[in-house]
Amino acid sequence: MLSKKSILQVDDLEKEDVIKIMDTADSFTDISKREIKKVPILRGKAVVNLFFESSTRTRTSFEVAAKRLSADMINFSASTSSLKKGESIMDTLRTILAMQVDLVVVRHSDSGTVKMVDDLIDIPVINAGDGKHQHPTQALLDLYTIRSRFKECRGLKVAIVGDFLNSRVAASDILLFEKMGMDVSIVAPSMLLPEDCSGFKIYSCIDDVIESADIIYMLRMQFERQGRKFYPSIREYNRFFSLNRDRVGRMKESAVIMHPGPVNRGIEISDEVMGGTRSPYSSVIIEDQVTGGVAIRMAILYLILG
Amino acid sequence: MGSKILISNGSLADPETGRFCRKDIYIEGRLIKDIADKIEAGSGDIKIIDARGMIVMPGLVDMHVHLRDPGFEEEETIESGAEAALAGGITSMACMPNTSPAIDSPHLVKYVIEKADSTDCSIYPVAAMTKGIAGKEITEMGLLSEEGAVAFSDDGRCVSDARLMFEIMRYSVQFGKPLVLHEEEYSFSGYGLMHEGKFSTRLGLEGISRLSDDIIIQRDIMLAGKTGARIHITHVSTSAAVDMIRRAKKNGVPVTCDVTSHHLFFNDSFLEGFNTNLKVKPPLRSRDDQMALIEGVKDGTIDAIISDHAPHLDTEKNTTFRAAEFGTIGLETLFASSYTKLCRDNGVGIDKLVRLLTLGPSSIIGINAGKISRGKSADITVADPGADFTPAADSFRSRSKNSAFIGQKLYGKIKYTVKKGKIVYESGSN
Ligand SMILES: [Zn+2]
Ligand SMILES: [Zn+2]
Repeated sequence: MLSKKSILQVDDLEKEDVIKIMDTADSFTDISKREIKKVPILRGKAVVNLFFESSTRTRTSFEVAAKRLSADMINFSASTSSLKKGESIMDTLRTILAMQVDLVVVRHSDSGTVKMVDDLIDIPVINAGDGKHQHPTQALLDLYTIRSRFKECRGLKVAIVGDFLNSRVAASDILLFEKMGMDVSIVAPSMLLPEDCSGFKIYSCIDDVIESADIIYMLRMQFERQGRKFYPSIREYNRFFSLNRDRVGRMKESAVIMHPGPVNRGIEISDEVMGGTRSPYSSVIIEDQVTGGVAIRMAILYLILG
Repeated sequence: MGSKILISNGSLADPETGRFCRKDIYIEGRLIKDIADKIEAGSGDIKIIDARGMIVMPGLVDMHVHLRDPGFEEEETIESGAEAALAGGITSMACMPNTSPAIDSPHLVKYVIEKADSTDCSIYPVAAMTKGIAGKEITEMGLLSEEGAVAFSDDGRCVSDARLMFEIMRYSVQFGKPLVLHEEEYSFSGYGLMHEGKFSTRLGLEGISRLSDDIIIQRDIMLAGKTGARIHITHVSTSAAVDMIRRAKKNGVPVTCDVTSHHLFFNDSFLEGFNTNLKVKPPLRSRDDQMALIEGVKDGTIDAIISDHAPHLDTEKNTTFRAAEFGTIGLETLFASSYTKLCRDNGVGIDKLVRLLTLGPSSIIGINAGKISRGKSADITVADPGADFTPAADSFRSRSKNSAFIGQKLYGKIKYTVKKGKIVYESGSN
């Protein structure tokens, strides 16, 4: 049991909830390593992936998690025309409720919409990303990956690099990391920061943090985003923010590189650092995040529905 | 031979003298017959309103409302808007021209005036400054004035073209009508959904910088200084804007301004629940800005309080925060919300509040309203400062229910509204 029915934002989680989720995920990690990766804990429960915004990674991660716990998973992609958005959400919810499901995982491109869904229905809701607001399960899996690596999180130095302004991942990570006593700084150009940055530790070049950080967290840089684009070029980005072989070489020996995926090769991280099917650098733990993601989502589903 | 009403034992707030003291008011027919310390009811058929403990004031004046008529009658009509106004103690109001079609030609001004005639509220049309509110060509400001437009505005839009604004100002001087200016620099407001600040970052909602308002206000103060046009900056929302206007007034620039009751009552921290009824333009700004607005009320920089009553259908608000329309209704909560925030919470005198809701706005748009004296039309509002209420979606007379004030406890319930000697609203009468 968690302190709230739904997980809409990191703010909803008490520290005890976070630890409970982490510990539960530890026990589920073993299941995923077995030959038969399935336990009947949630047999008979039905979970819906309600995605108003397309996403393969997060949707699949929830799907795998649900199936490993023997829950039924229904994928529901709803298109959102900008007209009549409210009605289309309500009609979709009506359909889903009629299917007698036990939990809804929701993603939407507009901030606040997952809360709106939660206000409209009685069953638990998990936010799988709403606009630029939050992506709490991503933050949990990031924390879980860090905890698995470092054991003790308190005091770790995290540098979050890139498009802070448009990133729900960064927003959620900062809240959760700070809740767990980590020391967070942001490395970003001015146009990818809000007008008021008071309260944040800001750096304008990755070199400022590369030698001191325990965790370098790279954000996705989307040059083709809605809104106006003010950042001059990829070349300039590479010079000040990208990870290349030289910079990786200057990191602490124990330090790690994380990314919410998918990586834009040659923008956030160079090809030589990324490697082929796996990175030549053991500090790149992007795949651990994916593995941890399944365990974390199993833990959450279990704690809410079990 | 009209009806007779005696309002007795109330405290009269007179914006002309600034006095707030116990008076009786005797109304016969459409006019105020007498105002005195004590008036005996006498005999015969007379309605007595016992206003003990209540505030008696001139019928309120709201110089900035959207009545959506013609074009969006599902949201509001001139008739339903008038009903809502009277329930809010408002007996005179000016309506904005961003209807469909926009009020940009004399026959549309006439349409509003004629339709308003059938209601119990005095309604004064504000006409567009540019044709179709498109920000391209100046309207027939002369003909529109002659037909009865009391002011000009492109409210809802800002005239981005500085040269055009300059010419509008020069031309407006020839007709002596004020320009009501909605100030917004689109390169800053663009995709914005709320005030750019700590809360927009936390909520992941695109921000609207204060610079959006401030840059254009600075521009228009310069243009008014140059042209001598009477400009009225509406819905001032930032601390810097209050400062600029304060300074401009000191320097003799013919500028006045107003603030909405929702900008006085709320700040951006209230958006944490993603309540779409709080999505307004300009956005609810920080607590510091809110305090600067209240300071502007106290020191006289702000000349009027408005509702910026902006009705929207449920479907336009029961949607995602991004998709929701901007605006809140406000006619029925104008007095109570302002009274609660200013007088109860921030020590503003009732005389000052009443002035900003009566003589302040009526003198800006040059209408005969907002005063209370012997021989004048009996437009009188009675409010009970001790009576509280909490608006709910079904408590409004407006056709639309999109009120930012739903769920907020407000003091200063309107008890009676008298227009031209007739009781046109009585609380509890519904
Ligand atoms: Zn406006
Ligand atoms: Zn308006």
